[in-house]
Amino acid sequence: MKRILLIEPDWILAKTYKQALELGGDVAVTLANTAQAAIGSADNDKPDLVILEIQLIEHSGIEFLYEFRSYPEWQSIPVIVHTIVPFNEFQDNWHLLRDELGVCNYLYKPHTSLRELISFTNTQKSLSRA
Amino acid sequence: MTDDGQSVPILSQELLLGVAEELKLPLLQIARQSELALLHGTADINTIRATARTALQLLDNYVLGVRLALEPQQFPLESISVSSVLYDSAQQLDVFAKSYGVHLELNVAGRYGPVIANRRGLQAALVSIGAALIEALPAQEGSRQLSMQLATHRSRYGVIAGAYTETKALTKETLQRGRRLQGTSRQPLLNVSQTSGAGIFVADAILHAMDLKLMASRHHRLHGLATVLQPNHQLQIV
Repeated sequence: MKRILLIEPDWILAKTYKQALELGGDVAVTLANTAQAAIGSADNDKPDLVILEIQLIEHSGIEFLYEFRSYPEWQSIPVIVHTIVPFNEFQDNWHLLRDELGVCNYLYKPHTSLRELISFTNTQKSLSRA
Repeated sequence: MTDDGQSVPILSQELLLGVAEELKLPLLQIARQSELALLHGTADINTIRATARTALQLLDNYVLGVRLALEPQQFPLESISVSSVLYDSAQQLDVFAKSYGVHLELNVAGRYGPVIANRRGLQAALVSIGAALIEALPAQEGSRQLSMQLATHRSRYGVIAGAYTETKALTKETLQRGRRLQGTSRQPLLNVSQTSGAGIFVADAILHAMDLKLMASRHHRLHGLATVLQPNHQLQIV
């Protein structure tokens, strides 16, 4: 069973995504609602994949990524950005996110169905195993 | 713009943009929960209903604010019981609070006498603040016990009514910075809310339209957002 760390500030969405991902594949999802809580969860649960909302309270998802990637053991863990922020607001920083912070995919929440999220997650898990 | 050329906060494009951004969240919640029901046959209908109701309330409150600004004569100041307005606001927020796992308390101990405000406007403002704080509570670092209090107390400035939580980030500076950033930042209330915080700015604008002010306030050990209401001394004498 693969472990997913889902960083999602909204409680209702977090519960919905967790339930969908766990029903859609052989995964265990840990929830974190802030960047700080996510670092703690990553330390405890050693995730195989991180799904990250950029728009968090206090410390943003970008700040989380800088902190997360600063630990050698977490540098190769794939991160999917799954956010309410449209891509055009990222465009200028996309190279930084992809090349330096290791983000492997961007998903715009309003346009990503649960089925698509499950499918992306499964693809990413198999890539990380290879 | 008003006759004297001043801009009215509720009519600002920044607030409209904030409301539009804010509505993405409940629509997304409803869409994903419905999808989960279709995929796996599990659906929390009560949560979907509460989410839709709160989103509609935000729209209603925004429209009320616009009407208050455009037709103030339709919304006269009246003598009202602050305890009763808080009670009704708590009733409106109760199911939404439950869907976020937030324990809602009403603290109206004491006698406050009648205050002067427009009842619909005041209730809309309190419900808007309450819903915005409830939605943000689970995502705040250090929010161990998720609870919110609708409370009132007396101060030397008048009777204060508002919504209070354990969130220390609810300060005067946070509110001032939020007002400045509204419309230009995705998260004007960065330490308080993960969204545009539109409910708080709608409340701000409604209160402004009634010549009242939204402010950061303390209630015992809790921090919150509140407004100062003036007692109706005339009725108290009677």
